[in-house]
Amino acid sequence: MNQWELVATVLGAGLIPCLLVCALASIADGLIALEVASTLLSTIMIALSEGLQRQPFIDLALTFALLSLLGALAFARLLERDL
Amino acid sequence: MSARHVAATALLAAGASIEVLAVIGLAALRDTFDRLHVVGLATFGALLVGVAVAVRESFSLIGDKALATGVLLVVFGPVLVHTTARSLRTRERGDWRADIEQHREEDS
Repeated sequence: MNQWELVATVLGAGLIPCLLVCALASIADGLIALEVASTLLSTIMIALSEGLQRQPFIDLALTFALLSLLGALAFARLLERDL
Repeated sequence: MSARHVAATALLAAGASIEVLAVIGLAALRDTFDRLHVVGLATFGALLVGVAVAVRESFSLIGDKALATGVLLVVFGPVLVHTTARSLRTRERGDWRADIEQHREEDS
């Protein structure tokens, strides 16, 4: 296991608290946990594509970062009206 | 081990530490608006990991895109935080501008 895979593993463990906050805290805290988790996941994908030497996989990280931002913005707007 | 390798490893460790700190903050802080601060912190961790890849691989396919991912998250992170804060405030008070005029009158 190289250092990139190690970082991906550590950050993967960091998703567990985010999941717990999503499940147990209020809906507003859940949205914030989702935003943090999406940043963590983008970083994990960057680290894995470098660690596993699968360079085209970096496109996944870039696409996921963009889509997660849009998704979180949509969630925030919907939350405003309690939909 | 080259200087580039050492620099990339140091940046990677710094980025990962910042993200772990953000997760600890998310779990430890109790107020919703306090928790919002860790979103911005986590994006800088992603940027450092992207810079680490760019340092290691130089400006290649993976280096450019890793850097672009980090920059995207750092640039749009504050927009996301602001939108979330505004939505939560609107949800709480009906209008995000509520009480602002009252505070202004109290201050003047």
